[in-house]
Amino acid sequence: MTRLRITGGAVHDPANGIDGDVGDICIENGRIVASLPADAPTLRAGGMVIMAGGIDIHAHIAATSVSMGRRLLPEEHALHPVAAPALDDGSIPRSGTGGTVPSTFTTGYRYAGLGYTTVFDAAVAPVAARQTHAELDDTPIIDGGFFALLGNDEYLHRQIAAGELARAKDYAAWILRSTGGYAIKVVNPGGVELWKRNVREVKTLDDPVGSSSVTPRRILEVLAGAANDLGLPHPVHIHCNNLGVAGNVAMTLDSMRALQGRRAHFTHLQFHSYGGERGKSWSSAARQVAEYVNSHPEVTGDVGQVMFGDATTLTADGAVEYLLHTSTGRKWINSDIELETGCGIVPYSYREKAAVASLQWVVGLELFLLSSDPWRMVLSTDHPNGGSFMSYPDLIRLLMDRAYRDEKLKSVNQKMLAGSALADGIAREYTLNEIAIITRAGPARQLGLAAKGHLGVGADADITIYSRDADFAKMFSTPRYVLKAGTLVVEEGQLRRAPAGKRIFVKPGFDDTLLRDLGKYFEAYSSVRLANYPVTGLRDAPVPTRGA
Amino acid sequence: MSEATRIEENVTCLGCGCACDDIAVVIAGARIREARNACTLGVRWFGDGSLPGAISGGRSAAIEDVLREIASLLRSARAPLVYLAPDLTCEAQGAAIAIADQLRAFVDGVTSSTSADGILAAQRRGRASATLGEIRNRADVVVFWAVDPAASYPRFQSRYAPNPVGVYLPQGRRDRTVIAVDVGAQRGPADADVRIQMTAEEEQLFLASLRASLAGRALGNQSIAARVTELATRLNKARYSVVVTDAESPPSVPSGRADSLIALTQSLNATTRCSLCSLRAGGNRNGADTVLTWHTGFPMAVDFSRGAPRYTPGNAAGARLAHGDCDAALIVGNTNAIPTVVREALGATRIVVIGPRASESTLSAQIRIDTGVAGIHESGMSLRLDDIPLPVRAVLPTPRDTASLLDALGSAIAAQGASA
Repeated sequence: MTRLRITGGAVHDPANGIDGDVGDICIENGRIVASLPADAPTLRAGGMVIMAGGIDIHAHIAATSVSMGRRLLPEEHALHPVAAPALDDGSIPRSGTGGTVPSTFTTGYRYAGLGYTTVFDAAVAPVAARQTHAELDDTPIIDGGFFALLGNDEYLHRQIAAGELARAKDYAAWILRSTGGYAIKVVNPGGVELWKRNVREVKTLDDPVGSSSVTPRRILEVLAGAANDLGLPHPVHIHCNNLGVAGNVAMTLDSMRALQGRRAHFTHLQFHSYGGERGKSWSSAARQVAEYVNSHPEVTGDVGQVMFGDATTLTADGAVEYLLHTSTGRKWINSDIELETGCGIVPYSYREKAAVASLQWVVGLELFLLSSDPWRMVLSTDHPNGGSFMSYPDLIRLLMDRAYRDEKLKSVNQKMLAGSALADGIAREYTLNEIAIITRAGPARQLGLAAKGHLGVGADADITIYSRDADFAKMFSTPRYVLKAGTLVVEEGQLRRAPAGKRIFVKPGFDDTLLRDLGKYFEAYSSVRLANYPVTGLRDAPVPTRGA
Repeated sequence: MSEATRIEENVTCLGCGCACDDIAVVIAGARIREARNACTLGVRWFGDGSLPGAISGGRSAAIEDVLREIASLLRSARAPLVYLAPDLTCEAQGAAIAIADQLRAFVDGVTSSTSADGILAAQRRGRASATLGEIRNRADVVVFWAVDPAASYPRFQSRYAPNPVGVYLPQGRRDRTVIAVDVGAQRGPADADVRIQMTAEEEQLFLASLRASLAGRALGNQSIAARVTELATRLNKARYSVVVTDAESPPSVPSGRADSLIALTQSLNATTRCSLCSLRAGGNRNGADTVLTWHTGFPMAVDFSRGAPRYTPGNAAGARLAHGDCDAALIVGNTNAIPTVVREALGATRIVVIGPRASESTLSAQIRIDTGVAGIHESGMSLRLDDIPLPVRAVLPTPRDTASLLDALGSAIAAQGASA
């Protein structure tokens, strides 16, 4: 379909200052245009709600770690067989399995079925980027990209130790360019390398990682600087040290202060906003984190909400997964990867009756509800860590419907909730426009995607149309129509078409004198030839960087 | 007249799962003359690169007609099998799996016959692992458990461990302790620093005692106590140990080795760091498991007959064929590498082979289409035994590209209507 006019719907397009006004959206050749000839086909959306397609800024859907997780969970997949959808676009539909880590085709279909059209995998080992592209090729409909892990890379640490900061920046650019990545990811800066050295705790931002000049603080500074100097559309994407540990709020706030004045994205902040003391007590510190973010416009974040039910924890943060394995007794994968990064996987369940899970649930909601700027605190569950992306509609209901939220709050374990803001009562209910901000406009702005997350002229025609329902979970779980690049992929609530999505990546420039030194390093230490490292054959155009 | 010679550098070898990617392939007159840096297995893997390019058994020689004929043969089957033999790119493996899904077939590959134990154990327990580059740079204690890589993984020791210099092992081999664990006739490397021997019958008790010892329990005066204590002590004192096991060579006496080695290496991480390294044979086997996993959630033995993937590792290709449960088979890849148990059970099944040297296959196939070998005639992706993806590149032309041909077969099947 090359042209379509959507008429009569209430448009929620906060990026363009539109808050529920009824108006036409015109689509031609996959993009939104100002007008169409009178005889263009029409889709009547009277009484419905129109938003841009959803954008997931942080999920784990396509990586060696994700497929290791898939392989670990036959019992879960056996419970969730998913038949192929009935497509009518001539493409061959694929069956799959669901659960917390669905197969790739099912992942694409399900995201589209929720009205999400763009998803980023948040943690890819650069050496394994080739597999991420292959998995994204098999994840239909959604546009996809990924963040390349750099915070525990031995070559990078070496440059920091030697004071070779220009080379560190060039290396970051080379990694993104070679892997087809979109942004720089830091996971537990220095802490994964320390885990490989059997050092299990990072106590401060100034703990040495081998050399005394390599510390979590320096790693954060160098990579935040590199992302900003390279003019990357998305700033450095940070998973702080001490994820999931009581009292970690001190480390989180220290990390934010270390980068004060510089653009930085702090991810799944729920997992990093705990008061109390390691091994002794827990409390919510969401208010402190929300207040810091509220008053520092250079900081963005996503929440990483915990949702009750089954999850799979799956992260580059190997050390934390060992702790989870020993505390839960559940099966555990660790993979130490090529001096670059790590990986840990443990299946997990968040239960209402569990004190810590209940606290985590509350902390996430507090981050949403105490955040004064929804553009800078967006929705995620760190899928599948805090819960599946399939739980987003229920999360939206928790944010929009105070009565539902308060009722739910009564059913969770109260042990650690004393004094928490949510327990004291928060009246705030998100509006439809605020939901549009935290699920599309905000992530698009944080990611620097000019043509996504809004419905203005020139935007990609990624559009989701919902039937109104007093039950917001129902409304957001079954969009009436979804368009991807102008193609109607969901019609009357049914998935009908599954076009291939595009790849979203950057190609920053770098000083190629790097390659001489890097070549020697590869020759001495790498198990892969330098010539075989780069991914080739990406068809789509890169997103421009300011430094290019 | 001298033939023009060209050299393709940095070629990935799929002769075993190590996937050495530093091979220089010398080509003259459309033949491989030399595979520099390759081990004996690698030299055999590359061969001279010559391949037949026939299509045989179809009623017509035109490829479109043959694909239609294969499509109707497979569609008319009650319970088709799609079998992933080795020597395929991940792209070809994916295309074959898509066909299995389309046909509601049963899809399996060599893994269920050769390496299922380790995979099932890892599904029960998880695993503590490390990639080969990590081992090369970090492992100060290397235990070869009932395997000498020299035979089936010849460059493992020189490329990964123990020989290379690593970031944290500046003196290479001298900074490492190599421990050979000999289990009956399955012996570790001859030049190990420490050798611990047991009979095949002792292995189960040894593994249990080793874990008990590491957990701090007394061993009493068992005959194996001294050997267990020595190994436990060395593993405990290691900075970063790795236990290398051959996932393709099960113990001669059932010993629970796969489970026990996972549990052992995981539990060592309570006090030090330890990883398990499972060796896999060649032809991109790990690729088949991994691609099947991302398509279906399961690494082998996937039954699509109910319209969605079901996992039946207890009723894999060999057993199904032996019971007569498959009435047609699409075999993709190198049929010479199919395990005997499957090959013999294929018997009376109607067979289509698409793969390198299909026309020369000893299977009694009805239709055969010659294609190329991953990494020699066909480009794409492969997975090293440690899940690191590597590019494979065609250094010679293929008779026809397997992945593209399978995509075309998928379209031919779709054109004949949805599967019942």
